[in-house]
Amino acid sequence: MTDTVLIVDDSLTVRMDLNEVFAAAGFRPVPCATAAEAREALARMRVGVVVLDVLLPDADGIEFLKEFRASPEGASAIVLLLSTEAEVKDRIRGLQTGADEYVGKPYDATYVVAKARELLRERRAGGMRDEAKILVIDDSATFREELRGALETEGYAVITAVSGEEGLRVAADERPSAIIVDGTLPGIDGATVIRRLRLDAALRGVPCVLLTAAENKGAELFALDAGADAFVRKDEEISVILARLAAVLRQTGKPLTGEPRSLLGPKRILAVDDSLTYLHELEAALQGEGYDVVLAHSGEEALDLLAVQLVDCILLDLLMPGLSGQETCRRIKSAAVVRDIPLIMLTALEDREAMIAGLGAGADDYISKSGEFDVLKARVRAQIRRKQFEDENRRIRDELMRKELEAAEAKAAREVAETRAALVGELERKNKELESFSYSVSHDLRSPLRAIDGFSRVLLEDYADKLDKEGLRLLDVIRQNSQKMGQLIDDLLEFSRLGRKPLSMATMNTKRLVEEVLGELQPRSGRRAKLALGPLPPAYGDAVLIKQAWANLLENAIKFCAKRKQPLIEVSGTTTDAENVYCVKDNGAGFDMRYYDMLFGVFQRLHSAEEYDGTGVGLAIVQRVVARHGGRVWAEGEVGKGAAFYFSLPHGEPRG
Amino acid sequence: MDQFEKVDILLVEDNPADAELTMRALRKGNLANHITWLKDGAAALDFIFRTGEYAGRPEQYPRLILLDIKLPKVDGIEVLKRIKADERTKVIPVVMVTSSAEGRDITESYKLGVNSYVVKPVEFSQFSDTVAKAGLYWMLVNKTP
Repeated sequence: MTDTVLIVDDSLTVRMDLNEVFAAAGFRPVPCATAAEAREALARMRVGVVVLDVLLPDADGIEFLKEFRASPEGASAIVLLLSTEAEVKDRIRGLQTGADEYVGKPYDATYVVAKARELLRERRAGGMRDEAKILVIDDSATFREELRGALETEGYAVITAVSGEEGLRVAADERPSAIIVDGTLPGIDGATVIRRLRLDAALRGVPCVLLTAAENKGAELFALDAGADAFVRKDEEISVILARLAAVLRQTGKPLTGEPRSLLGPKRILAVDDSLTYLHELEAALQGEGYDVVLAHSGEEALDLLAVQLVDCILLDLLMPGLSGQETCRRIKSAAVVRDIPLIMLTALEDREAMIAGLGAGADDYISKSGEFDVLKARVRAQIRRKQFEDENRRIRDELMRKELEAAEAKAAREVAETRAALVGELERKNKELESFSYSVSHDLRSPLRAIDGFSRVLLEDYADKLDKEGLRLLDVIRQNSQKMGQLIDDLLEFSRLGRKPLSMATMNTKRLVEEVLGELQPRSGRRAKLALGPLPPAYGDAVLIKQAWANLLENAIKFCAKRKQPLIEVSGTTTDAENVYCVKDNGAGFDMRYYDMLFGVFQRLHSAEEYDGTGVGLAIVQRVVARHGGRVWAEGEVGKGAAFYFSLPHGEPRG
Repeated sequence: MDQFEKVDILLVEDNPADAELTMRALRKGNLANHITWLKDGAAALDFIFRTGEYAGRPEQYPRLILLDIKLPKVDGIEVLKRIKADERTKVIPVVMVTSSAEGRDITESYKLGVNSYVVKPVEFSQFSDTVAKAGLYWMLVNKTP
């Protein structure tokens, strides 16, 4: 895809220069001299990149940028600001307004192009992944175009470079899927290009095909020595090249995502010095190396700049008015985002103390300003490389840690799942055990009891005349106790069944349910307690179990107020945000709050069997039913005055 | 001459105490005629289908079978299944008599076509009543063999 580049600058020289380099790099440049021309062009076409001068004859570049960013098209385009005035204020303002880059004039045209490419690539990284993109490096235009044609027919995207140097830069910007490079090139040769690529963390995985001259003996050895994945003699058919290419692409598979920045990509250096003369000398020297140089005149400016634009290396003067170099350095080194940028301290003084002070503040290196620029350039290069290797190491470390963490998490998840499965299995086994246990209990414990009761009865029926009164009473005691034990067994079974039965949840009409229970209980108890039914909100639960709970509570109430002259039972319910609370209150025997803890226990009784009969399971059943519904049970009582039992049921939110 | 010649009620019960009480209850309900008591499921099947020990018995079927669920050798459910699967015997009323009201037994028995299900209460008079009533009811229903 060819990206359109809008070049908005009033200087004809700039327009012509940028037009030429962008066109050569495969973009479609559209030069505009004024903001008005630019607006007109924007109305006509989709633009991928805008190179914008800050000072325009008919508008302020930054105002134009604001206007452009507000338009739907402008939101996604890349904007590079150009400015003659390397004023820090302008730069900050521009970047805050939404420029992607700010390049000071005089600019390095190849840097501008490289930066535009890098930004476009970054922008697209989130989107679709391009089809296989092949970089062809060859100095013969005829061969380049022939190969391009063949590759495009095969469905590859093709980019080209005429020299090894250009090829490396393009590779860094474009991250091709594979590279086809001629062995013989002006400047650095093909083998060297491959060796350089293999040193770059970001590019070492890109497969390379080396083209060798027909007459070259031992070409294979040469190519492999350089680290090429394949080699093809230039006199072979183009189809052979295509086949080799397809093979190496298959072998290497898809490139990794989240690659580090290329070592060979465009670099920006922030130079901070109060001396303008020195700054400009520095700028000239570094620009010659292909760096973009950002200038700041004080420590304060440097910090402001770093807040809006990251750089690859910082050169910082130690002695400055205002914020000193030492303090600036300390601040930079304490900010998380910029801490890792290599920082080289500059000073006019050839003195150990200054050097120690600078390094003590966290500088990565130290250079005397009196020295040659060549030394400085070498140090800068070394620092940038060091940073790059550190980044790569960190990336590898992070990757390893992430993988370890993932492995540990997967292991933990597996263990949890296994433990869970084991627990569920254990639970099912226990439930089965309990089920068969209660089954045998109900069969085997009841049989002898039935025999005891039955034969006592037989004795009574057949031999009553042979027993005296005491004998008959003793038989009666035996029968009563066997019946009592039968009841205990039945209640216990019922209690254990409650814990196992799956809940069948539905909304129920509580009022109707209570009336139904009372209808069943009253004829049996034969009592005439006065009933006061308050409001009873509908409940959500297992109707059979909830009914059982109501039955037990109401049965208790009837039982314990039976001895009152005017027995009264009040039944009511309230509703809150989270739950319904129901209450059964009687004016009966009540209970002593000191024994509250025993109230809901199995086989726990607060009254003697002579006073009130019962097995001590009723309230335990209520407790278990309510707990299985996620509710609570509680009570209040006073001896001789009555008792009130409450239970809550959460609102019916039918859950999955 | 054969003691099994005329059988009205077949009681299959392994617990002698329960068997004795059951027979006493049936007698009290005037259903004492021709009760045959067998102690396990295998014997019951032999008796009903005239095999093994009972191979020589004349072809005559009980009018009512009282069947305990938990039995030695062949359990009550299996006996019920065999009775209800045979054209000759499937019309005989079968009443399951058991100590337990455990749901799965009841469901299983009804699936197999049991006619009634009686849980033996611990209390004797209740037990006596229940057995006598069930016996009487089914004997009346099944007048003709």
